[in-house]
Formats: sequence, C-alpha cells, structure tokens
Amino acid sequence: MIYRLVGGTALLLGGLLHLTPANATDKPASATDKSANVADKSTHAVGQSPIRFDREIRPLLARNCFGCHGPDESHRQAGLRLDVEEAAKRVRKGRQAIKPGDPNQSEVWKRIISTDPEEVMPPADSERALTAEQKEKIRLWIEQGAPWGQHWAFEKPIRPALPATQTPTQHPIDAFIVARLEREKLTLSPPADRYTLARRVALDLTGLPPEPHLVQRFIDDPAPDAYERYVDELLRSPAFGERWARPWLDLARFADTKGYEKDLQRTIWPYRDWLIRALNADMPFDQFTREQLAGDLLPQPTIDQLLATAFHRNTMANDEGGTDDEEFRVAAVKDRVDTTMQVWMGVTFGCAKCHSHKYDPFSLKEYYQLYSFFNQTEDADRFDDAPKLPVPTLEQARKQAAIRVQLQALQEAQFAATVELKREAQQWETQLRPKLDQPDTGKNLPAEVLQALKVAEDQRSDAQKQAILRHVASFAEATSEIRQAIQARQAELKALQIPEVPILRELPPDKRRPNRLHIRGNFLDSGEAVQPDTPKIFPPFPKDAPRNRLGLAQWLTHPDNPLTARVAVNRVWALLFGTGLVESQEDFGSQGQPPSHPELLDWLAVEYRDNGWSLKKLLKTIVTSQTYRQSSKLTPELASKDPRNRLLARGPRFRMEAEMIRDVSLAVSGLLSRKMYGPSVMPPQPDGLWRSAYSGAKWETATNEDRYRRGIYTFIKRTTPYPAMATFDAPSRELCTIRRINTNTPLQALVTLNDTAFVEMAQALARRMLLEGGKTTEERIAHGLRLALVRPAQPEEVTILAELFAERQAHFAKHPQEAKLFAGTTTPTTTAPTTLPSSDADRAALTAVANVILNLDEFLTRN
Amino acid sequence: MHPRLQQLQYLTRRHFFRESSVGLGALALASLWNQDRATASSKTAVVSPLVPRPPHFTPKAKRVIYLHMSGAPPHLDLFDYKPELVKHNGKDCPQQFLKGKRFAFTSGVPKLLGTPRKYKQYGKAGIWMSDAIPRLHEIADEITVIRSMTTDEFNHAPAELLLYTGFARQGRPSLGAWVIYGLGSESENLPGFVVLISNGVQPSGGQGCWGSGFLPSVYQGVQCRSKGDPVLYVSDPQGMDRDIRRKSLDALKDLNQWQADELGHPETATRIAQYELAFRMQMSVPEVMDISKETRQTLDEYGAQPGAASFANNCLLARRLIEKGVRYVQLFDWGWDFHGTGPNQDIRDGLTRKCATMDKPVAALIKDLKRRGLLDDTLVIWGGEFGRTPFREGRTAGGSILGRDHYPNCYSMFLCGAGIKRGYTHGETDELGFAVVKDKVHVHDLQATILHQLGFDHEKLTFRFQGRDYRLTDVHGHVVKEILA
Repeated sequence: MIYRLVGGTALLLGGLLHLTPANATDKPASATDKSANVADKSTHAVGQSPIRFDREIRPLLARNCFGCHGPDESHRQAGLRLDVEEAAKRVRKGRQAIKPGDPNQSEVWKRIISTDPEEVMPPADSERALTAEQKEKIRLWIEQGAPWGQHWAFEKPIRPALPATQTPTQHPIDAFIVARLEREKLTLSPPADRYTLARRVALDLTGLPPEPHLVQRFIDDPAPDAYERYVDELLRSPAFGERWARPWLDLARFADTKGYEKDLQRTIWPYRDWLIRALNADMPFDQFTREQLAGDLLPQPTIDQLLATAFHRNTMANDEGGTDDEEFRVAAVKDRVDTTMQVWMGVTFGCAKCHSHKYDPFSLKEYYQLYSFFNQTEDADRFDDAPKLPVPTLEQARKQAAIRVQLQALQEAQFAATVELKREAQQWETQLRPKLDQPDTGKNLPAEVLQALKVAEDQRSDAQKQAILRHVASFAEATSEIRQAIQARQAELKALQIPEVPILRELPPDKRRPNRLHIRGNFLDSGEAVQPDTPKIFPPFPKDAPRNRLGLAQWLTHPDNPLTARVAVNRVWALLFGTGLVESQEDFGSQGQPPSHPELLDWLAVEYRDNGWSLKKLLKTIVTSQTYRQSSKLTPELASKDPRNRLLARGPRFRMEAEMIRDVSLAVSGLLSRKMYGPSVMPPQPDGLWRSAYSGAKWETATNEDRYRRGIYTFIKRTTPYPAMATFDAPSRELCTIRRINTNTPLQALVTLNDTAFVEMAQALARRMLLEGGKTTEERIAHGLRLALVRPAQPEEVTILAELFAERQAHFAKHPQEAKLFAGTTTPTTTAPTTLPSSDADRAALTAVANVILNLDEFLTRN
Repeated sequence: MHPRLQQLQYLTRRHFFRESSVGLGALALASLWNQDRATASSKTAVVSPLVPRPPHFTPKAKRVIYLHMSGAPPHLDLFDYKPELVKHNGKDCPQQFLKGKRFAFTSGVPKLLGTPRKYKQYGKAGIWMSDAIPRLHEIADEITVIRSMTTDEFNHAPAELLLYTGFARQGRPSLGAWVIYGLGSESENLPGFVVLISNGVQPSGGQGCWGSGFLPSVYQGVQCRSKGDPVLYVSDPQGMDRDIRRKSLDALKDLNQWQADELGHPETATRIAQYELAFRMQMSVPEVMDISKETRQTLDEYGAQPGAASFANNCLLARRLIEKGVRYVQLFDWGWDFHGTGPNQDIRDGLTRKCATMDKPVAALIKDLKRRGLLDDTLVIWGGEFGRTPFREGRTAGGSILGRDHYPNCYSMFLCGAGIKRGYTHGETDELGFAVVKDKVHVHDLQATILHQLGFDHEKLTFRFQGRDYRLTDVHGHVVKEILA
C-alpha cells in the first residue's frame, strides 16, 4: 500500500506536469489552468473596466450556448442564435435575447438566473454551467451596452505599442512579458548561466548539443554580442534545417508508407530533403506556402517547386482489395482541406465536413467551397500513387545526362543507312515478298512498314524507305553490336533508380470533376454544386488571384489574413517554450484558449510578416530576449503562483522530443553520422515488429553509418512506427499532428536503458571517455558528464559515478564473459581508433557509467 | 514547505481517501469523482493520468478481455444458421441483394452458399452453433450470442478502426485507451491495457486499434509478446544483471536528486519514480508472461505450451494479466479471412482446423474465469470486424474451395460475464442472411454497451480535442439493454 502510494503519487506528478498542455480543457482527468485564472482576474477586475467581448464574453457564450444557439442550423434550438450580433439583439415577439444596457429585460440574463429547471440556461442536463463570477461578467457586459465584436483571432493583428514597464526592458518581447509579470508583482528570473544557455539554444536551433569548441569560445567571449554571434553560428548550421523540419513533418504527416492494411512503402523522402533545404535557405514562409500548396501551378515550375507539392501527397492511400478508389481519394482530399486549415490557420475547419461548425462560423457549404480548390488534382488513390515526378539526385542527374547523350548517338548510329544495313534490308524484303499476302505476316509487322512494302520499291517515298530501314535495324546483324550497347545504356539508366515522388498535378480543363457538397459528409450523397471559395468570415479572396490552389496560397499569406502569421509564430513559440502563447495551437477558434499574452502574439505575428516571413529572423528575435534566456530555477513562490509557467517568470524547461533524444545521445556518444538527405534508414529496432497483413516488407537493420543517422531520417511505417520514438510521443504520421503531447512513462526509461541503439551509444561513450578523457577514472567520468551536460562536472557527481565504476570494475574483472558482452564493440567515430589502454572490465564498467549519464534527468531535459 | 512535498502530501491524502472510500458505495464514489472533476481546477493542478478512479455508476465489469478474430470469421458457418440458404445453395444470388452494393472481391452475380456445416442447438437456451466449434458448445449456457451485428465498413482496416475507435479512419483513441482514461490503472507494475497478438500478423487496422489517438500516450495499449522481449525493451542488455541495474539506478537516483534539489522541478522527481517503476516492470512482466508455472492440467485445458506463441497461450496470459490487475486485455488472432483462396480458407476443413486452435482455449478461459470467480466482473467479448457473404466469393467461385467475401451488413459475435445474460441469443437476420430483421446492433451500440458494463455513460466519457468533446461512440450508440442480465 505504502509502496503504491509513493510510486503512484510520483507517477501522478509526472503525468500531470507533462500532460497539462493537453488536459487543460479535458474535464475528467485534469485541471484548468491556474495561471490563466490569475491572468483573467488581474486583467479585468470585475466591475471596474469595460468587459471585452472578444476575450471575456464570446468564449463564455461559445462554450455554454453555441452548441444549441450557434452556427449549426441543424441543431439550433428555438430558432435563436447567439453567435451573430444582429440575431442576438433582434426583437422577437416583443422579447430580446440580449437588450443592450438592460440585463433585466434580456432573455439571456433572465434564463441564466432562473431557478425554474425548465427555464434555466444552460439546461441542467447539458453538463454546461456558469460560475457566479462568469454570470456577473455577462450581466455587467449587457449593462455596459453589450458591445459586440469579432472573435479576437478572426481580426487582423495590428502591431501593438510596447507596454510601459517599471523595470526598463531592452527587448520588445521582454516589455510584454515584464508588463504582465509586474501586474502579479513578479519579475523575470536572472539569466541562465552561459553553459545552460549554450546547450538550450543549440538544442532549440539545431536539435544537437553544441560543439565543445563553440561552447568554449562562447564562454570565453567577453564581447557584449558574444551570445548573438553564437546564435548566428547555430542558425547557419545545416543541422538547423534538420531540426526545424521535424515539426513540419508532423504537420505534413510525412511517412515512408501509404497507410492502412498493407501499408506498403512509398518513395517520398525527397520531399523531406526539399524541406530541409528550404529551411536552411530560410525560404520566406509565403513562398514556402505557395510552393507546397501549388508549386505545380507556378509558371514554368522547377523540379523543386513540383517536389514541394508532395506535402499534400503524404495523405494515406488504401491498397486493400476491393476498395473504392474514389472513396479514399475523397478522404485524401478532405485530409488536405483539414490539414491546410489546421496548419496555416489553426482552425478546426474539418468539423464542417458533415455539418456546419457548431462553434465557429463555418458552414457545410463553405467546407465544400474550399474543398473545390483541392478537388481537381490528378491523383486518385491509385496503386501506383500517380502522378509522380522523377527526382534525380545531383549525382544521378549527372549520370543520367551522360548516358542520354550516349544513347542518342547510338540510336542515330543504329538507324544510319549504312551499306550493310541496306543490303540486309533488301535480303529481308526478298525473303518476305512471297509471304506478304498471308495474314500472319501482316500481323507481325508495324502498319507503316507493311504499307511501305506494298508500294513498289522505286516508287517509295523517303519516309517509307526510312520506315523499312528502321524496322530492319531493330534486328539486323549489322546493328547487333549497337543494339547491345543501347540495351546496356538503358540498363544503366534503370540501375540509377531515380526516385519517383508522388506530386500534385491539376487535371486538364476538360477532365475537371464536378464540385458538389457532400450531404452529411457522405461522398456518395452529393448536394448542390459549389464553386471554389474561402469562408466568408475571413477577408475575401484576392481579386487578382486565380481561383485555384495558387490563389488559395496567396489568400493564406495575404497581409489581411488574420491567422496565418499568428498561428505560425505561436507554433515557433511553443517549440521554444513548451507551450504556445495560445495553448490550444490547433484551435484559434472560439473553443480554443485565449492567448496568455495577446499583444505579444500580435506583435510577433506582425513582426514575422514584416521581416519578410523569415523564420531565422523570428527565431533570433525570440532567443535573444531576456525572457528566453532566463534561468529555469523553480522557486516556491513561482511554483505556487504560476506552476505551469504561463507568465514566464522563469526559463522554459521540458523533456527533449523523441528525435532529439536519439540525436543528442548519438552525438554525445560520438556515433552520430552527419550524413544528410537520402532514403530513410533503418537503425536497430526489436525483431518481429513488422508484421502487416498481406505485406512482405522487412526491416533490414543498417550496418553502416546509416545505423547512426539523425532521427529525422528514420524510416516511418505508419502502422508500426519506430517504437523507441513512438514511446517518446512521436506520432504515427497517419494524420496531421499539430502538437505532441509530452508524457513521462516507465516505458521511456526502458528505451534509454535497454534499447540496443542506446546500449550501443553507452558503449561508444565509454570508449570516448577512455580515449579522450584523460588518465584517471575521475577525469574520464568528468569528460563524459561534460560532453553530455555541456557544463563542467561537479566533484560530487564524479564521486557518485566513480564509486559505481569501481564497484562494477571489480565485478566485471571477475566475470570476463559478461564484461566482454556488456562492453560490446561499438566505437565512436569522433576519435581516431587506437589501441585502448584498458581492459574489458574497464570498458564494461565505464559502459555502465555511460548508461547512467545518458539517462540523467538533466541530460534528457532541454533546460 | 517545498511545493513538491506539499503536492505529494496532498496527493497522498487524497489517494488514501479514495482508497478507503471504496466501501462507501457507488453513490459516494460517484459524487467524489464528479466533485473532483469540478474542483480539480481550483484546488490543485496535480491529477494523475493513471490513478484508479470510479466510473459514472456502479460497474458490472471491472475488466475486459476482448478476443478479436482478425479477418472476420464466417458467421454463417459458426452461429447464424440459415436452412433456407442451404436449400438454395448454388443458385444465383437474387438481384435484390446485390443492387447498389459493392463487395470487396465479387462482381457480377455470385452463387448462394448454404453452410456445409452441421448445426445443432446447445445449452438450456438452445443456442445454435455449428460443428466447427465443438468446445464452445460446452459454454452455451454462459454466453449471449448476438446474431444481428452490423457495421459500416467492408474492408478490414477501416472496419477494425470503426470497431475499436468509433471512426473508420486513423486518429481517434481506441476502446482500451478510453477505458484506461476513464478508470485509470489498477496495476502497480504492469500496464493497464495489454495487447496480445497471435499467428504473427498484426490486425489490418494496425496499432491504431490499440492506440491512444488524441489522448495522451500513457493510455495506449502495450503489446506483450511471447517471443523476444515480452514488453519492448524490458530485458536488460547482454552482460547486465539485476545487481548492476540496481546499482546503476541508485547512482542515477542520487544524481537526479541533485538536479531536483538544484532546480526544484517536480518532473525530476517523477522521472526518478518512473525509473523505479521500470525496474519493477522488468521483474513483473517476465514473471506474468511466464506460463510455465501453471499446472499441467491448466496448460492442457487451454492447449497452451510454454515458450510457444499461440492464441491458446494468449488466452491463458489474458487470465494471468487480469489477475494481476490489468484492466483491459486485447487479443488479436490472425487468420480468419475466409475468402477460399487457399485450403486454409475453406469453410469446411480449413475452418475446422482454424477453430480447433480457438474454441478450446476460449472455452477453457471462460471456464477458468468462472472457477476463479472472475467471470462475474470480467467481460469477455469474442468476434471479428464484419461478417461474410451468404454467397461464394467472386474470385474463387470457379474453384473447389468454398469461401465467402466480406460482408458488413450482418454478422455474429458473443459476449459473456460481467452482467451479460447467460444462455441467450439476441437479434435475427433474414432467411438468407442478407439483412438484420430484428434487434440490429451497430458497432457503436456494442461500444456503448461495453462502456455501460464498465460503469460509463458513453455520452459522457469525453475528451475535448480541437474544440469538441469527442467520445468513443462519435455521435451514435445505444446500450443494448436486452442482453443485460
């Protein structure tokens, strides 16, 4: 019992802390956001300042009323809707739902305070309820004239003025954060020490620990811009694109298989490589948007622009027997609509595919208007994933061109009218002539040859002569060598195995599909015809833009679009701080959470757009703020006032994501391959996992450097994702994942303790400590700790591990067989191989130490 | 006081209160639960994802064993006897049954296929069963057979996803995940939701059938295996023994404690606890997965063999797991896709052979549970993802092997234990077995019923995601009251 209490309790804590992002709105298992409550109260002390409709009232109405009195006409009760000002204030049969300035004459207020169970709103059985404070807010708001306004996120962000603060701030971000903290009588924490900061920002920007020499330079650099230059160096690293591709690949639902039952392989990794290159080149987000959504519709698209459209070919395809391809084509198109609106605009538009949205103003018809933009591509859930684009690598392109030149020369030579060929042609004709009238002869000859033969020899045109000659050249003795050479070249071309990637391609005008609404979302039940258009609640479709995906991309990144920039900066913020300014990253609609720092969100959004949509500039702006650079130390005061750090009075600290845990462990152990790009790879995973129905695909563990590539290159099979990463909350990539939910489970401990991949890393780290660390055990351990934690080791830490080493060394010395097995043979690639000045027992004992180091909380945490 | 300690103490008190209130009756529990939901926000941010918690009302079932026959068993040759179909065997399928329908592998006009199996009634209630499942005849008085199941999907992957997640596409939480989300886990050292797979192939729906969807991943099923690591990564690496592991974890704990003291983050304490739990799992998982300690008699009853990877072993393991507090055990047995494309897919000998690997362990499991007093509060479910056609499958119609195509409109399954009627048949299909004519049970109804037995109102077990309260039954589902005792 006691055991359970203690164990269970701690488990709870973990669950809690890591789960809160997802659970803040989840009633059964959790709790609302304490700090957000704090925020509410202080921002608008009830009864003093005007109530703000968009931030305070609309969310209450949305949650409690819109389900029955909202946009969805099919569920609307009593014909009343409260999501539209005109309808809510209309006088109907002498009554008004909301009578501005007069709560007592407002039906809404009367119902809210009614004690009659038949009358009271929200109804007793609806599981909705208003607190006394919320009711008072509504009353006050009506009293103040019930001013209306658009949902905050649907209004265009305007660059806000920087707030005044008592403590002077240097950085715009800090001004917003400090102004908010000062209302709670809090301050920013002191800056994190340089080691911590060096590791934090390196992990955030490159997903890898910083190179030791870079850290040292930064530590020793007295210049005031030392940090800034350190950041610039990281932003220039090719690892940057690999790290920032990861979250985008979650959005793109990128995987190496097609999904569903057979889950067969799909060659689409060149898209991943395109993405890494685009991010490293800091491609502006508007261009990034255009190329992925509509690269094929750009004038004279390049291979890269076509390849970018594979973004939306990551949808699943069903190869099960007897499936209706149209059903799964439609499913893929709907996925594209939903994903586009999720990724760019942070709205749950997909809800409107079966019925009008219950809370946000999106109608069923509007869903299919947007659907129409995506409904005209050639792909149709076919087995071959057509249409596809051959995407040669540079090397392949070079070889391909060379072979093609040779081929052309050979083909010319083959058909050249040489004397030998002419003679053979004559002989052939002479032999054939008596049989020319037999039907079989005709069947075996191409039509134009047969025709030519029927003409007397001296009356044949040049083309006819040519036809006969070409035909004979395809089997003549005279051309046999050339033909062999051609075959050899063609085999070489094929052997290049140029990847062919599924892409988007618009149907020709005469093959366009009719655009119709699907009644209740059923593709077999078509309703009225619709035209491509965007939802009315948002700014109109640009007048000069084409009514296709390209125009849609322009609409998404238009300066008037209220959401795209906000959603993008919020996503970046969440990756750096663990939680978005809008915590519900996937929902900026009326059911989402309001931003913790609305003005900061808008400032960042406008800044991002105005800086030319540069991700690198945005990142640099954020990571150079004091807010980002704070120490994460948790004081009792902060723990009680703001346990979830929504106010950011301390630095962000959270467990590394799945890919990062792999990459950082590989880097520290000296095994990491820095090879970029190419087909996805298969590092060690437990045997017997790939057992899909009706598929013979096998996991073939890499034995070369592909064994140690970054996690972003690991092969993802949707129905059986790489288990070590799945355990750390990596999604299966079947659908767009807006944010990962961080959990903390014992299964994760088993991965980093026991997975072959991680055991190999410990073995390599042990050797690295031996080779680079110095002569004494203490020096070696200190070296390992420094590599892993990017800071000098504390003597106490070294002592604890040295004791473990001594004890284990003695044990392994007595058990040489175990020592050999445990020490393994994995050798780091960072150090030149030399004869190790050590025994198996030393290596095994150090492997045990390394295994501990790679499991330290501090190591697994980005702090 | 240090905030972490404060939280710990608070939790411990609450936990104790919860434990000790078990005897106070369902009402008290329910109100406690509801109160928790209402006040958790204001009092504390600390709530466990896995702490055991009571459902909405007193449950009949405390745990579930779901036996899934991947591929869809031919229900017309097992439970749904159609003498009229036998009479019309070999005749062209009437147009009225084909119009407007699509089949996976059949086009044109197929031939009706009356069952070649012998049917009789068994048990006091006279439940119809064929001769393919002789051992199930013995438990006829324990089960409710539903002959009026229906689904919307006729391909394996979408049908399995619909059955387990309430939705035919990927992305939603599975039944087991909902159960653990709603009830927490009773087991200290084992996962609350375990998946066992036999015959080597995972179900067509993939891991989505036991995934957590948009729920936190702590709720997803954990696959336990008979070969290799019983749970992935649970075995120590070569050369490592328990003593080294213990000493390593002690060093790790000391170092992590430093970190906790330094920065004061409760996550560090959690991580320490998770490593301890992992250490205990390394002991308890292999122990529970080792069936060699079962008596010879038990092993024989199930037809289980230590060291093998079989459905029989998995049935026995299911019992061992629930005994140790595992709440939901999901079995998938591959090889029930009786198209007739090979001798093993023939509904005569092929089905006899396949059933022999299934009916013995299933009957043994039910008897065993009953003997141990576990059947009263353990819900056992047997079935596939859809049914099979009353006519011969198109591709194989010309051959000598008898097979049937996928058929979503009707199929059969059975349930037993935990408040389900004993010896009862529910629902009917028409004379030829093309449509349900009485008491239709949609998969959403089945889900609602399973949740009901576990004490949940299926409309109230929800999770807010993307601005909407999602539930297992989507916007459908009615509890099938008629099958409840």
